[in-house]
Amino acid sequence: LNTKRLILISLFAMAAILLSSCGTAPVNNWPGLAADAERAYLASGSFVYAIDLQSHNQVWRYPAEADNALHFYANPVLTPDGQLLIGSAGTNHALVSLDPATGQEKWAAPFARARGEWIATPLMFNDLIYAPNADGRLYVLNPDGTFVDSVELGGALWSAPVTDGGLIYVASLDHHMHIIDPANLQSVKTTDLGGAIPGGATPGPDGLYVGTFASQLQFVSASGDHEPLAESEGWIWGPPALDGETLYYADLEGNVYSLDLATVSQNWSGVKPDGPIAASPLVIGDQIFVVTEAGSFVVLDRAGKFNVTQVGGKIYTAPVVSGDLILVAPYQAGTALVAFDAAGKQVWTFTPAE
Amino acid sequence: MWETLIVQPMTNLLLWIYSLLGPGPHMFGLAIILFTILIRIITWPLNASQVKGAQAMQELQNDKDWQDIQKKYAKDREKLAQEQMRVYKEKGINPFASCLPTLIQFPIIIGLYQSIIRALAVTPLSMLQLARTAYPFLNIESIIPLNSRFLWMDLSRPESIAIFGFGLPTLAIIVAVTTYVQSKLTMPATANPGDQSAMMGNMMSIYMPLLLGWFALTFASGISVYFIVSNLLGIIQYAATGRANWRNLIPGEVPVRSKK
Repeated sequence: LNTKRLILISLFAMAAILLSSCGTAPVNNWPGLAADAERAYLASGSFVYAIDLQSHNQVWRYPAEADNALHFYANPVLTPDGQLLIGSAGTNHALVSLDPATGQEKWAAPFARARGEWIATPLMFNDLIYAPNADGRLYVLNPDGTFVDSVELGGALWSAPVTDGGLIYVASLDHHMHIIDPANLQSVKTTDLGGAIPGGATPGPDGLYVGTFASQLQFVSASGDHEPLAESEGWIWGPPALDGETLYYADLEGNVYSLDLATVSQNWSGVKPDGPIAASPLVIGDQIFVVTEAGSFVVLDRAGKFNVTQVGGKIYTAPVVSGDLILVAPYQAGTALVAFDAAGKQVWTFTPAE
Repeated sequence: MWETLIVQPMTNLLLWIYSLLGPGPHMFGLAIILFTILIRIITWPLNASQVKGAQAMQELQNDKDWQDIQKKYAKDREKLAQEQMRVYKEKGINPFASCLPTLIQFPIIIGLYQSIIRALAVTPLSMLQLARTAYPFLNIESIIPLNSRFLWMDLSRPESIAIFGFGLPTLAIIVAVTTYVQSKLTMPATANPGDQSAMMGNMMSIYMPLLLGWFALTFASGISVYFIVSNLLGIIQYAATGRANWRNLIPGEVPVRSKK
């Protein structure tokens, strides 16, 4: 019977381990990416990497050793006062400030108040940090990381706040666009856009342009009035890219759209490269760059003609420009970062050392 | 295969129930409760056969042939086990029938856990997966994001209540207690404490609450809601037969025959 008891206990232990392995992968996501003139900053799982754009070598990584409580997936942001801010989607809910030159931690706010993941990129405005959290609150910090205030907005906040220079706009998954007065953190207006807003908004001269899961592109004015500008075939994830009078955006059905704001009409139709598109397009000169879930880097001209280059993996992170390079961060690929030139030719790749 | 046959239908069932209830607070918790009731109804025949099996085991304790072999082979466990198996076979009794419904819960637990995590979509990647999981008739864009609040809990995270700065895992304790109560009530009584099946049952009634309690401690609290509701329904179902022997609940006591 002792043997049977042992077998039974072993079976229970195995079941526990198997079930744990089935279930306890709570946080996984595609990487976050930012760049300045010299470096790319890649937030990918346990680490944030700084990669030199000339040598395409790793300059530093944070933290030095993996910490189970830290998972980085948000797009990092470089602030005017020389900080690299990144929130963790790990269990300690840390919002971290790094020295971009060295990767040294300037401060880390473990933030007992925040209950959710940091998926959104924070905004620095008027010398304050506005950091939306997945727990539905917008946290306000001093540049040294000390807590100033917070406001409950409701719904998970996944996207970076934007500002028109006066007000702050925070999009929520609960379908609402919150317009906040930064002077007192009071809500000026909350507007229901009819669908979840995971990717945030793009500020324009007169208001905001927002894509939603209701498959609509909306215009929202500073007073909170909104009107649908265009329908899409699928959900719109990434915020649109504004270039003069033209708005470029894409949807999860794989369509790329070009909307003429002067006439509110589409410049083309049926432009569908090779897979769902979650990331925002990037516009440089006469070219539009998009990335697809099929792992492709797509270069379009203003007429909608496109060339596709296969990168590998799946690409959900918006491409980032630095000088002559366009940086792409694939997910589940053999490489973590790929640099292209403006012609769409691959220049180099970066893979972190084990 | 697992995704298509288990996770996708379960997720859609949860989403469908949620969509019927509406998007308000606490509704996803209610959807899990209704889902559990539905699973209990579907597995009713299985649970009924478990109750029937437990009753047969109870009746077996009064069987003269059974009592004779207990006395005759009291000192020869191997022979006793052989004879017991013979009697089980002759009378068409499965001594492990009471374990089966519990074991069959495992795929449901795994599927439900994955469905809850999928439905609550705590990261952009899981939101993307949810979009692909939803059946077209659901009109998923109108119901996401799901409200994960239920009573004092966030159903996407393990639960605890802060008491004097210490996080008390209330749901994990309730899960362990209700699992213990259910397994003790449904455990067949025996006249012989050395009976192997009785000892196995005793071990199950100790390890299973610990195992499920540990799951409740580690996993999203939505799964704990499932455990608790499922256990309570199981207890009610068994108590309704009038065979429940509440004295079995005292720890360390060998299950005794019901007076009935």
